Amino acid sequence: MKIKLSNRIGLLSGSFLIVAGVAVGLVASFSDTAQAHKVKHSPATLNAFDQVFMEQVRLGDLLFHGDPATQKKMGVTLSKTGMACAMCHPRAADTHPYEYPKFQEQINKFSTLRDITNWCIEKPNQGEKISVDSDAMKALEAYMYWSTRGSKLDPGRH
Amino acid sequence: MPNEIDKGRRDLDKVLRNPVKRPDSSVSLTRRTFLQRSLVTGTALGAGAASLGLLPLVNTIDVAQAAGESFRFAWVSDTHLYGPGVNERFVDKTVKAFKEIQGMSPSADFMIFGGDLAQKGRQDELQLGSDLLKEVKIKKLFIPGEHDWYLDMGAEWEKRFGGSPWSMDHKGVRIIGLNTIGHAPDYWTAKKMSPEERMGHMEALDGTVAGAWAGLGRPQLKWLSDNLAGWPKDKPIIVFSHNPLYNYYAPWNFWVRDWQEVQEILGPYSNVTNVHGHTHQVLYNEIGTMRSIGMLATSWPWPYAPGVPNLTTPMVRVDPGDHFDGVGWGSLTGGDRVENEYMMWRKDIFATAQADSGAGDEGNQVLNERIADKQWPY
Repeated sequence: MKIKLSNRIGLLSGSFLIVAGVAVGLVASFSDTAQAHKVKHSPATLNAFDQVFMEQVRLGDLLFHGDPATQKKMGVTLSKTGMACAMCHPRAADTHPYEYPKFQEQINKFSTLRDITNWCIEKPNQGEKISVDSDAMKALEAYMYWSTRGSKLDPGRH
Repeated sequence: MPNEIDKGRRDLDKVLRNPVKRPDSSVSLTRRTFLQRSLVTGTALGAGAASLGLLPLVNTIDVAQAAGESFRFAWVSDTHLYGPGVNERFVDKTVKAFKEIQGMSPSADFMIFGGDLAQKGRQDELQLGSDLLKEVKIKKLFIPGEHDWYLDMGAEWEKRFGGSPWSMDHKGVRIIGLNTIGHAPDYWTAKKMSPEERMGHMEALDGTVAGAWAGLGRPQLKWLSDNLAGWPKDKPIIVFSHNPLYNYYAPWNFWVRDWQEVQEILGPYSNVTNVHGHTHQVLYNEIGTMRSIGMLATSWPWPYAPGVPNLTTPMVRVDPGDHFDGVGWGSLTGGDRVENEYMMWRKDIFATAQADSGAGDEGNQVLNERIADKQWPY
């Protein structure tokens, strides 16, 4: 846990570095083991969790909008057509992450949000498919969920 | 922002609830098949399209109006061309649209290009667009889009395609071309943005830095008012604009910020049709005495934004794996009738059930503003 969070630091910049640094310190202070909830959550603790999450949203936002520097840092090529995810999905509209998992017509199988994200990268964007559990995929997922927060959860809907 | 959206909806609602202010003619939606000359003569393009069942079905908006000579014209917009070699799909679709327009029978009186020829406003993009436009030999009219403009503030665009606003009278119709994109509040000087950075913020539809960039601005509002001062109140007016002249969804600039002033100017005229681009989707609305028709892009379709006008019959879900799907151009008639035919390259254009609609998921969907572009620089 501690190592993974530290890796995120490499992707941070400016004021986020300071805030997220505090966040990492707080989160890491609990334990390196899988234990949790041994100490009551304080507002500072919750804020630390939020900072970790929002940093992933920020990275996902940049990837989703085709930012070349973020793609390079994360070692991904999400498009070779010049198009970015956000060009068909402004504010992540019509990604409807709240409908997954479901049968996905294009893939012709029961699919997750990550499956269709990779389909979009490969087909319309003609980019390079990414690992379904990669940091870039998690960041994209964080951005899509965060952007559509408040939507009605409706798995399976087409 | 949600409060601002709600306020915008309330403002629009006040206009829509006015029972007196409506276009003065009945509007009926019908369908018919429109054959390209290339199809009739059985060219390779035509034969292929016909064999695939791709004869375009069309939406016809028939508007009974005062007698006058009718004429046909074509609309193309939102080609979003990149420089050579970057996105051949966008080039292919632009070429297809231009060839079909040149092949119209009878010929169109003119073609209007409704903005966003380029993606990043670069010279090589505008040059590519200019080269492709040579396919169209009929008269061509132009209004700019934001993607054509914010790299060099419209210098290259105006050198190639002329300035705007402009107007002309054609067979009894006052035709007006507006510039709704070139009057953004200055978001770049204080932040010392490079031209590329300025364009980058304009390039993202859901960007938050460029703000409410769509509008006519005071001088153009006065120009519009002066231009129409001597025009009879019951004679037809067609207004071309890149953005819709009402408030559909401000966060994506699916509006002009001074739409209420525009309505004040156009309100006294009983037969006004606004034809606009930017929204990349089948769209129809009536605001006061103005009817508004949103046109297709050739590049890609935008999803419907929250608040699709009730008068719109939404387009069907399209196939994101087929880059010719959900896009196209428009064939319109003006004069005693105003008709619009969506030339979308698929069999079924309009949803007949919510499940088939691109707007069908809207009921479950809540959208929120992005964050990453607020932190300057990236």
